[in-house]
Amino acid sequence: MSRLATQLAADLPGESGSGLQWIRALRDTGARHFRKHGLPTRKDEAWKYTALGVLEQGGLRLATKTEPPSTPSSHSPPLAQAGFNLTMLDGQLLQQSGTPRAGLTVLSLADALSKDINGLQVLLESLPQGNSGDGFSALNTATLDSGVLVHVAAGTDGGRLMINWSTQAREKSLLFNTRVCVILEPDARLELLEQFESPQGNSNTCNIVLQADLGENADLQHIRFQQESEGAGLITRTEVSQQTDSEYAYFGFDLGGGLVRHDLHATLLGSGAKSDLSGAYLLDGKRHVDNHARVDHQAAGGFSEQFFRGVASGSAKAIFNTAVCVHPGADETEARQSNANILLSAKAEINTKPELEIYADEVIASHGATVGQLDEQAVFYLRSRGLNEQEARQLLTTAFCRSVSDRLRDPQLGEVISQRMMDVMPQAE
Amino acid sequence: MLRITNLHARVAGKEILKGLSLELKAGEIHAIMGPNGAGKSTLGNVLAGREGYEVTDGEVIFNGKNLLELEPEERACEGVFLAFQYPVEIPGVNNTYFLRAALNAQRKYRGEEILDSVGFLRLVREKLKILNIGDELLHRAVNEGFSGGEKKRNEIFQMAVLEPSLAILDETDSGLDIDALKTVAEGVNRLRSKDRGMIVVTHYQRLLDHIVPDRVHVLADGQLVATGGADLALKLEEQGYAWLEDGGIQTLNTDPVKQTANP
Ligand SMILES: Nc1ncnc2c1ncn2[C@@H]1O[C@H](COP(=O)(O)OP(=O)(O)OP(=O)(O)O)[C@@H](O)[C@H]1O
Ligand SMILES: [Mg+2]
Repeated sequence: MSRLATQLAADLPGESGSGLQWIRALRDTGARHFRKHGLPTRKDEAWKYTALGVLEQGGLRLATKTEPPSTPSSHSPPLAQAGFNLTMLDGQLLQQSGTPRAGLTVLSLADALSKDINGLQVLLESLPQGNSGDGFSALNTATLDSGVLVHVAAGTDGGRLMINWSTQAREKSLLFNTRVCVILEPDARLELLEQFESPQGNSNTCNIVLQADLGENADLQHIRFQQESEGAGLITRTEVSQQTDSEYAYFGFDLGGGLVRHDLHATLLGSGAKSDLSGAYLLDGKRHVDNHARVDHQAAGGFSEQFFRGVASGSAKAIFNTAVCVHPGADETEARQSNANILLSAKAEINTKPELEIYADEVIASHGATVGQLDEQAVFYLRSRGLNEQEARQLLTTAFCRSVSDRLRDPQLGEVISQRMMDVMPQAE
Repeated sequence: MLRITNLHARVAGKEILKGLSLELKAGEIHAIMGPNGAGKSTLGNVLAGREGYEVTDGEVIFNGKNLLELEPEERACEGVFLAFQYPVEIPGVNNTYFLRAALNAQRKYRGEEILDSVGFLRLVREKLKILNIGDELLHRAVNEGFSGGEKKRNEIFQMAVLEPSLAILDETDSGLDIDALKTVAEGVNRLRSKDRGMIVVTHYQRLLDHIVPDRVHVLADGQLVATGGADLALKLEEQGYAWLEDGGIQTLNTDPVKQTANP
């Protein structure tokens, strides 16, 4: 086990905490798994390109609940207005504002656990915990306590729920573990907008697991926008299970962070379900952003799309891994994967790998992954009309990433995000 | 306004322009004709400053400035506009947004006020009306999925908005239907003024029926081999280029342009 994993294991509380028997048992499972396997290493195939050395060098320690968060740190303006807003500071629910729509229930996870909310146990116990690559999830389960439960009642529209994430800068670097549970009953709808931003000089890492359960014909739009500071770590896992005819639309924007890893996984359990995953990552400096997206088609007539665009400059490193598995019986599935990248500097690195496994009949599948440079013909065309070289390149790079923000259902939000991307757009070197 | 003297240029290591000289006075329109591969587009690209076109000899003076020393965007800001023979498609970049950014970049360079979106829209509407074209292309990405004729129309529309002092039209009339041809002619004629100059590269007389050029040049094998009045185009249409081959450099009618002999 790495020094970091040994330290974090030592930081784990000796006993399984308070609460109901099943919760303590669950924490125990996580703790046992973590003590046995520790954190993922580059020997794990899924972590081949991402080493955790920076976290170890930063002397990362497990956060304990003894230091409650004080004042919320200053956030740049929210991306959009939302009916209901949550402020998550240091991994804990600090503040709620606005009025939830009828049908929308938001509880702190601790509250939800003590009330033993219907469906929560099944959801929490369903998180797959396989090999040594799942160390962060195990740690998250071992410390299960902080977080939120979002529940949308059958046939209701929860509107837009915004979660603002940040951590406070301190002397030491802390690892915060948080769980977000989203339950959409049949025919329920929700737009979940997550914004991550921490003050400069911050060297904390958040380890967040989000589990979403979409009932029949439910519709979840999930927008995740992170502009973390350069020293911040963000390790997240999103697990979505989808019943018949449900729809999950994910839009991820990585504009910041030092070490960023996101495992995005949708499982289509019912027929006719649709998973539409898209994202853009714009990296400069020494940032390291590793995205793994995977869709498992387990029922017939499903549709999935993975549409990701990336730009890397400086000595940044981007990893994008997209996988689709069409399981036996998932006939007449349509699965599309597209990942295109632009390298703006010779020292930047982009690793992209599409994977496709098909064990069913009458499947339509397409995939493509490219890493290239800007179209020089287009650069010249723009310059010949008066834009200088930098403006021309910036316009083209933004346009490239705009193909993701243009997919948002709310064009106004798409415009705001595209402007934010333009503001941070890495320059060519 | 434009004086090209003994211009030699190479593309991919091959000499394409071999001592081309041309003088264009303010207020004039010159047509350049000539066989495929002669170097007409190369001349346009050299004037616009495209990378990969290496000038090995000669000079180009534009309004007193050494044009070849300027960056492509500086040339544009100085008033040079090239309507491309094959305009590129730029997915994701909105046509209107791009054109406004370009116009404002040029205005900024010239120390003029930046146009806000309202002012820009007014200008755009006015130009659309003059050119008798619809606004459906404006909302799309630059040239993306445009038909051949739509791309050419878009070039003319850009020219109308940017109002360059030197416009070079590279086969803007090729592949156009009759209405679009009128749009191009209208665009050129509207821009025609005593302090602007234009070079129209074409293979056909039909555009020249609408835009009567002051001079017609024949470019063959990297040089101007013949120069004449508007009637030269008619003769070329009837007889092709073969008759020029034996004669070498010819000067027809009363031609003020001096030809530099090929060394
Ligand atoms: N990038 C390039 N690489 C190699 N050869 C080139 C390149 N660009 C132009 N050429 C060559 O230079 C010559 C002149 O080309 P140019 O496009 O200037 O011709 P043109 O007179 O415009 O012909 P057309 O009437 O067909 O448009 C041609 O032989 C062409 O193949
Ligand atoms: Mg040509």
